[in-house]
Amino acid sequence: MPIEKSDLLQGTLDMLILKIVALGPVHGYGISLRIRQISKEVLQVQQGSLYPALHRLEKRGWLASEWGESEKGRQAKFYKLSAKGRKQLASEESNWKRLAGAVVNILQTAE
Amino acid sequence: MAWRKSFFPKRASNEQMDSELRFHIEEVTEENIASGMTPEEARRRAILEFGGPEQIKEDLRDVYRVRIVESTIANLKSAFRFVRKSPSFSVTVILTLALAIGANSAVFSAIDAVLLKPLPFPEGDQLMRIEQRHLKGSNPTTAVAPVRLEDWNRMNSTFQAMTGYYSENGSESSGALPEKVTRAWVGPRFFQVWGVAPATGRGFSPEEETFGGPAVVVISDRFWRRRFNADPDAIGKALRVDGHLFAIVGVMPVSFFFTDRDVDLWAPVPANSPEAQGRDATWYQAIGRLKPSVTIEQARANLATVQAQLGEQFPKTDKELTVGIEPLKETTIASARRSLWMLFGSVSLLLLIACTNIVALLLARATQRQHEISVRLSLGATRGAIVAQLLTETFVLALLGAMLGLLAANGASGVFRSLASSLPRVEEIRLDARIVLYSMACSVVVTLLCGLIPALRGTRRNLSGALGQVSRTQVSARNPLQWLLVGVQVALALTLLAGAGLLVRSFRELGRVAPGFDASHILTLQVSMSWAESADFKNVRQRTDRILDALRAVPGVEGAALSVGVPGVPFKYETEFKLAEGRAETEPKIVAENRLISASYFATLGIPMLAGETCRDNEGPLTVVVNRTFADTYFAGSSAIGHHLVASNFGFSGPAEIRGIAGDARETGLDRLPAPTVYFCAPNAEPGSYFLVKTRNAPMSVAESLRGKMHEAEPMRSVFDISPLEQHYSDALAENRLRTILLSFFAVTAVSLACVGLYGTLSYAVNVRRREVGLRLALGALRAQIVKQFLLQGLAISLLGCAAGWLLAAAFTRVLAGMLYGVSPTDVVTLISVILLVMIVAAIASLFPAMRAARVDPMQVLRDE
Repeated sequence: MPIEKSDLLQGTLDMLILKIVALGPVHGYGISLRIRQISKEVLQVQQGSLYPALHRLEKRGWLASEWGESEKGRQAKFYKLSAKGRKQLASEESNWKRLAGAVVNILQTAE
Repeated sequence: MAWRKSFFPKRASNEQMDSELRFHIEEVTEENIASGMTPEEARRRAILEFGGPEQIKEDLRDVYRVRIVESTIANLKSAFRFVRKSPSFSVTVILTLALAIGANSAVFSAIDAVLLKPLPFPEGDQLMRIEQRHLKGSNPTTAVAPVRLEDWNRMNSTFQAMTGYYSENGSESSGALPEKVTRAWVGPRFFQVWGVAPATGRGFSPEEETFGGPAVVVISDRFWRRRFNADPDAIGKALRVDGHLFAIVGVMPVSFFFTDRDVDLWAPVPANSPEAQGRDATWYQAIGRLKPSVTIEQARANLATVQAQLGEQFPKTDKELTVGIEPLKETTIASARRSLWMLFGSVSLLLLIACTNIVALLLARATQRQHEISVRLSLGATRGAIVAQLLTETFVLALLGAMLGLLAANGASGVFRSLASSLPRVEEIRLDARIVLYSMACSVVVTLLCGLIPALRGTRRNLSGALGQVSRTQVSARNPLQWLLVGVQVALALTLLAGAGLLVRSFRELGRVAPGFDASHILTLQVSMSWAESADFKNVRQRTDRILDALRAVPGVEGAALSVGVPGVPFKYETEFKLAEGRAETEPKIVAENRLISASYFATLGIPMLAGETCRDNEGPLTVVVNRTFADTYFAGSSAIGHHLVASNFGFSGPAEIRGIAGDARETGLDRLPAPTVYFCAPNAEPGSYFLVKTRNAPMSVAESLRGKMHEAEPMRSVFDISPLEQHYSDALAENRLRTILLSFFAVTAVSLACVGLYGTLSYAVNVRRREVGLRLALGALRAQIVKQFLLQGLAISLLGCAAGWLLAAAFTRVLAGMLYGVSPTDVVTLISVILLVMIVAAIASLFPAMRAARVDPMQVLRDE
């Protein structure tokens, strides 16, 4: 069953976006596509959450943007990770891993 | 590609949003077509899935909206929560600020009322004091002749109007007992110049300002309430003042007290009355109201021209005169200016200390909250938002402090009134919107001063590092900024304490002064009389003798004397003298204080006669006594006795023989060295003359019998201003006492705050280094070593603070130079004792945290690890 944004932990979407963008310049549609593909259709991001998140991250200076041509020659807005965003991503990733590790530990012990 | 990555990203335009979202929909549509839908169906599904582009656009716009109001409210809410959650911290900060802002607002309320606000008259800044100055006389400023005032008023082009006044004490006898009243005789245009009309009734009509017209008075609000119980029918009633009837035509508003706050009645002096025609008459204090937008320089130039014309017209009387013009406000408040600014400076230093103290508290606090802050940062809060929230917290504390401080300041106007009733305009000091505004401004400044550094430092940390850190393992005990703050507090406190120490010593020196006379059993009093009566010398002398005899006849009275002023209370009456015997041109001019007294003055006050004998009261040629300083200054090496003095600007002329030399007495003020003085035996009581009575017991014990006896002897006169001589000194020192008490209070507060700061910072350091101390104890360190180490740390920083404070104090005490008596502003004894005091207090403040450090239980600490 796909998990939608409301079920995601607060702040997780931002981390996912940063991670995807870290792989290379990409537009909004590409991000939603990759999240779906990489999560094997488990995570589905609503456009209503994706675009405000993108703009918020850009405003905070973690993402940079530029208009360019898509693979099919259409005008699209491409996002790229900034140096600040890269730092932010590193810290969020490590936090997430600690948290996830802790949760896994508890679940295993409790079994 | 030129990636747009600016600090302030440009807000996406509506079209850009549209085209970004459209691109997404088109991509999804193609995806759907690829999975086998018809183009129409594919597009419909894509839009459906998208869920309303307009709604998304609105959300996007929201991202760029800065929600000032919402975020401010949220910040305020969280700030109040913070205040409630940490009550002891909040109470400390609020009380510190309440004290500092309250004291600051109180002193500012005095400065505002006394120095800054215009006088309480319409266009008060147009009012000028106008003086007649004599180019060559040693007593250059004299009162103005009525005719000359009329000339000035007629011939000038810069004043709307000029007027003059003088006051005297009269006896009002329309009631059962004669009552002393203070009556101001006023020139034409009096109320017009002030711009104040009577609250009830009217001012003077032209007819009443003409010689021979009806005799009328306007009464003060105070007199109206006292005498007529605020009865509106008082208008038209008659008063009998010194035997003459006057009809009441008006009552002035309560706020009008000029010439001074004691005036009961104002009565017109007709410009054309025969007595007012002499160009030599010295009657009036003159004031004038400038025309709008005329500058004081223009007025001065204008009046100089006018007086030059008069000088040509009346060479004999007017040639050597000039006109002085000063703002009335300046001449009213001049004495208080320095004291008040000095106090304001001190109280601002106090506020600075309080702020420094709070910065240290907030820094310690920010360290404790580091974890909270880094969590918020990692959750995506911007640094600006967190700084804004921390500042809001500080602001809420400052605002609460300011509000509490205002309550304190409200009570302070009463303090000013009781401590310094002689302060000019003291009755105008009160809390108003300006003071509230000032306090609010103070709290904003405090917020920025106190809050900014801790907020910026608190949010500066590398967040990923801080998140992993647990406060227990922190070892950043050496925080140089916190120790710097403690040093600054000590330095500022020392500065204030040094100033206070000097003022206190100076005040004590004043109390120890040997004035040259015995003030302890002297009662002073005045008897009502008018200037008109003083024209007949013979009569005046007889009356004065009669009064002195009556006073001497009262049981318990050992002596009575007359004096033109109160000995020891500032009063200057300098006169230039010539010697009848002649004097070499090369010798310096003889200038001396001039005192009119009765021969009994010396015996009554216990001033010894060093040579010769006292002067004589009897009629005939005048005789004088000079003081030792006069004899030493002008007759060094020869005897002064037997010479004859001629006063240059003095009512009664003729050479006066020097009969004796008296001991030096501090006639012109207890804080001033005796000036050369000439005592004239001229027992002619005038308005304002004092009778001095030597009593056997406490001075006030004979007051009632004196009053009774005087009523028998002079039933038409009233006796007033009965008070012990020492009371006058206490009044004369009021301003001195005010600044001494206030500065001492500020200094003690400052030192207490600095100690709290030292204590707090050291306690914090001990807390942070508990683990280290525990380890060292476990490894065999002695407890005494631990105590010593922390104690020395506290003392070292205090010592550095004292060294810096020494330099500051050198600058600050220079401001005090003119306010000190008998102690130099660089007095080493004061400075060293102040430093010792600060060091002792600092040692005590350091000892407690140091002892606590030594009590750390090593086992406990090791177990915690």
